Amino acid sequence: MQSFVVLLRRIQFRIITMPPIIRFDHVSVIAHQKTILSDISFALFPGEKAVLCGKSGSGKSSVLRTLLGLHPIKSGMVYFQEQPLTPVSVQVIRSCAAYIGQEPMLGAESVREALLLPFQFKSHRDHRPTEAQLVEVLQRLQLPANILSQESNRISGGEKQRVALARGLLLGKKLYLLDEVTSALDAESKRVVFDVFSDPHLTVLSVAHDPEWLERCGIVFELEAGQLTQVRRDGNT
Amino acid sequence: METLDIELPRMALLYGLCLLPWLLLWLIGLRLSRDIGISILRMSIQLALVGIYLKMLFDLNHPWLNGLWILMMLIVADLSILKRAGLKVRYFALATFTAIASSIMFSTAYLVILVIQPTHYYDARYIVPLAGMILGNCLQGNVIALERFYSALRKNEHEYATFLMLGATRWEAVRPYFRDAIKAAINPTIAGMATMGLVSLPGMMTGQILGGSEPWLAVKYQIAIMICIFTSTTIASIINLKLSLNIAFNAFDVLRDEVIEKP
Repeated sequence: MQSFVVLLRRIQFRIITMPPIIRFDHVSVIAHQKTILSDISFALFPGEKAVLCGKSGSGKSSVLRTLLGLHPIKSGMVYFQEQPLTPVSVQVIRSCAAYIGQEPMLGAESVREALLLPFQFKSHRDHRPTEAQLVEVLQRLQLPANILSQESNRISGGEKQRVALARGLLLGKKLYLLDEVTSALDAESKRVVFDVFSDPHLTVLSVAHDPEWLERCGIVFELEAGQLTQVRRDGNT
Repeated sequence: METLDIELPRMALLYGLCLLPWLLLWLIGLRLSRDIGISILRMSIQLALVGIYLKMLFDLNHPWLNGLWILMMLIVADLSILKRAGLKVRYFALATFTAIASSIMFSTAYLVILVIQPTHYYDARYIVPLAGMILGNCLQGNVIALERFYSALRKNEHEYATFLMLGATRWEAVRPYFRDAIKAAINPTIAGMATMGLVSLPGMMTGQILGGSEPWLAVKYQIAIMICIFTSTTIASIINLKLSLNIAFNAFDVLRDEVIEKP
């Protein structure tokens, strides 16, 4: 009972002090004449770590893709920092969020080029990291400095994910959308990734099956056939 | 120097030459009689009609009529480009038309008005075959550009989305595919210029020599037409792809499904 009261206070505190970073309000999405999300509502506050779980095809990745404006919304509304998702605000979401998939696309020949790729774009051109910053972020993710000169299609899936994550950190992203990242990681790299996300400033919305990952996430959203069936916060339903 | 006419009996003799490949194909077990027959018949009828039309066009030599003929060629080219590139006509017809019409008119006008300088700039003898040749080559280039670009985008959907997520604008995110598509579109022309005269005698030059021109004059015209083909293919493919970018994506920079013709 006591813990319930604590939880309620925490939720209340959050509602009063800061708006949710992501809010889905009765969102339905249809793609290729098929309903992929149906009446989804949830909110995620800054610093929270959440995981979407459910069978394959339940719509987990679609939640991430919808937030990024990659699926047109049929009804309901997605809010990012309480701003409705529009062609203008989607640019803000895309600039704040890092999306990392199971086999991330690095989009460049070498790892160095991959890390520097976003800094060719107008939006980041003035924030090009120094060599020391590159090495530092690689160290943080326990990647050797000599990986910079390796070809990006020659490195392992786990390394690719850590490079993609490094790129997100270099861009100063605060929101991480992780689609099945743990599946390609060995125990050591998984620990490194967990450490990075223990930072209270980073918000995580992930898709995973891994029990260890689920345990570490404070919030679990369960999806079934495009519907949100259960929400658990800090182990409570 | 007049070109020798081919009289009717000798035309029949010419058609007779087809019997040889037909027989060879039949002997190796390829039953293509129907296809061969239809193709030869179509070629003959289509060219006969063009012959009649061109004869009329040249006799009248009226600026509006010449313009109308070029307009018709542009419309047919427009539809043909989109059909072969697998894009829906109702979305892209205007964009493609604008691209090819502006580039063809620019390069033909440049060639005729500034370089050749005939007495009448609208002279059918110059503008009709020149615009036609430039357009024919430009058509190939535009098919390649559109087809390459949109198939690369669909194939690399995930990579394109990654670029967007990394803060790229739509233009920044499509640029690698854009460059590849333009390169593929103009490569045949560049390669063609590099081997011109070595591998085969170019069609227009052969035509002029047969028509009685001095080889030197034929060479100059061939160079002129190649430069115009190169210029207009490059301009048209770039304008065409650029205009299509405003049509093929939704406001969230996602490629619209409905603009692409289902195979």
